[in-house]
Amino acid sequence: MLFIGAQFVIWSVTGAYMVFFDIDYIHGDSLIVNHQTKIKPDNLTYPTQALFQQYPQAENLSVGMLVNREVYRFNIDKQAFMLDASNGKLLSPIDEQSAIAVAKHFYADDGEVINAELIIENPPFELSSRHLPTWRVNFDNFGSPALYISATNGKVVTKRHEFWRIFDWMFRFHVMDYDDGGNVSNWFLFIIALLALFAAFSGLVLTYYKMIKPMFSKRKNSDFDNQSPQPKMNVPTGDQP
Amino acid sequence: MMFWVRKIHKWASLLIGLQLFIWVFSGLVFNVIDHKKARGNAYRQAPTVSEHLIAEKDLLPVETILKAYPETIELTQTKLLEKPYYLLTQEQGLYRHFTNRFLLVNAITGELTKVDEKLALNIAKASYIGPGDATSTNLFITNIPDYPKQKNPTWQINFNDDLETSVYIEQGSGRIVGHSNSDKRFAGFFFMLHFMDYGDEGSFNNIQIMLFAFVTLWLALSGLIWTIHMLRNGKYRLKTSR
Repeated sequence: MLFIGAQFVIWSVTGAYMVFFDIDYIHGDSLIVNHQTKIKPDNLTYPTQALFQQYPQAENLSVGMLVNREVYRFNIDKQAFMLDASNGKLLSPIDEQSAIAVAKHFYADDGEVINAELIIENPPFELSSRHLPTWRVNFDNFGSPALYISATNGKVVTKRHEFWRIFDWMFRFHVMDYDDGGNVSNWFLFIIALLALFAAFSGLVLTYYKMIKPMFSKRKNSDFDNQSPQPKMNVPTGDQP
Repeated sequence: MMFWVRKIHKWASLLIGLQLFIWVFSGLVFNVIDHKKARGNAYRQAPTVSEHLIAEKDLLPVETILKAYPETIELTQTKLLEKPYYLLTQEQGLYRHFTNRFLLVNAITGELTKVDEKLALNIAKASYIGPGDATSTNLFITNIPDYPKQKNPTWQINFNDDLETSVYIEQGSGRIVGHSNSDKRFAGFFFMLHFMDYGDEGSFNNIQIMLFAFVTLWLALSGLIWTIHMLRNGKYRLKTSR
């Protein structure tokens, strides 16, 4: 019973963290400037006809911006490429300097960049492997923010700061998934939740008899505070006097 | 001190006892439900991939399109009913469900296309493999049912199958927002209860849950102290130690 009590404390603390912090803040939306830079058609001086001649297998062509320059992005056999749309120069994969420039362009605060690291395999928990290869650019600011910049298309694929990392931990403890973090349907949670349901129900019954009923009965019930009901997680056991 | 611990515990339990029960019960529901069913995709199929109607290099050149629509942030390709389109982002939200503004241009004819009722219906049907027929189509500008976080105008196409499937198509882009059905709504109901999201905002950052969470902290911590106190006084036996 003490064990379920501990889980009740964990549920309350982790639940409170999750509801008190705004989820958009947790997701680091405030770390990012949502630029609305328009494509200047006059800058597309490298014609797409030339592109298709040079890369006949190019598929899913798109046009967008890399910081302030127009770029073509396309795939060849699921591999992503990026060209400068003014001269056709191959820009992908982007180097460290460009990754830092992109990260600074999108970063909403003015913190210094600590470093940038290229992640090619074994991504950390916070990065989906479908985004690889990715530059992680770390900023020197409150909450250790990091922006992840795709090395192949130069876009911000995700962002993280400590508040989100803590949130992920809170969620794991909340759903009692102590191995990989995402699975709500685990047996451990089932058993504890079942016991907790019983505990919560007995707590409700106790509250009714110890609090609600005495409040409505006109009877003077002076020993009500001294009667000391058992806490909700404590079911009567045989060793009572 | 234990006097206050008990007092806090009792009054907190009075305030939130019922909600605590609902939390544990709905939490148990999430634990036992079939999460695959709860996604609402029972009658959803991936769009059929066919050979390209036309080689990509023979589509209208993107330079021409961008000259015609100069206020574009990004040009991407999309397929609606297997036909190629250019999707021009005019206003970009941080996420797909945030406010976005798009133009859709037929990549073969250059015609500016609107996802009207008929097109939305056909996109929905193409994504649907259930036994039902489409019975009604509605356009929602805000407060999209089943997708409270979706901020963009969305078509709802309802099917008369056993699961009451609804398919949602974003008006601006023709994107399939998702399928929803009675299984998903069942789970959604318990999420609403668990998050105390009575306004259906798709959020657990509402004021009522913050208040309740605050009181729950006091309940849990007072219970913890009380339990430890009783343990130290000999395993629950000296419960009337005062």
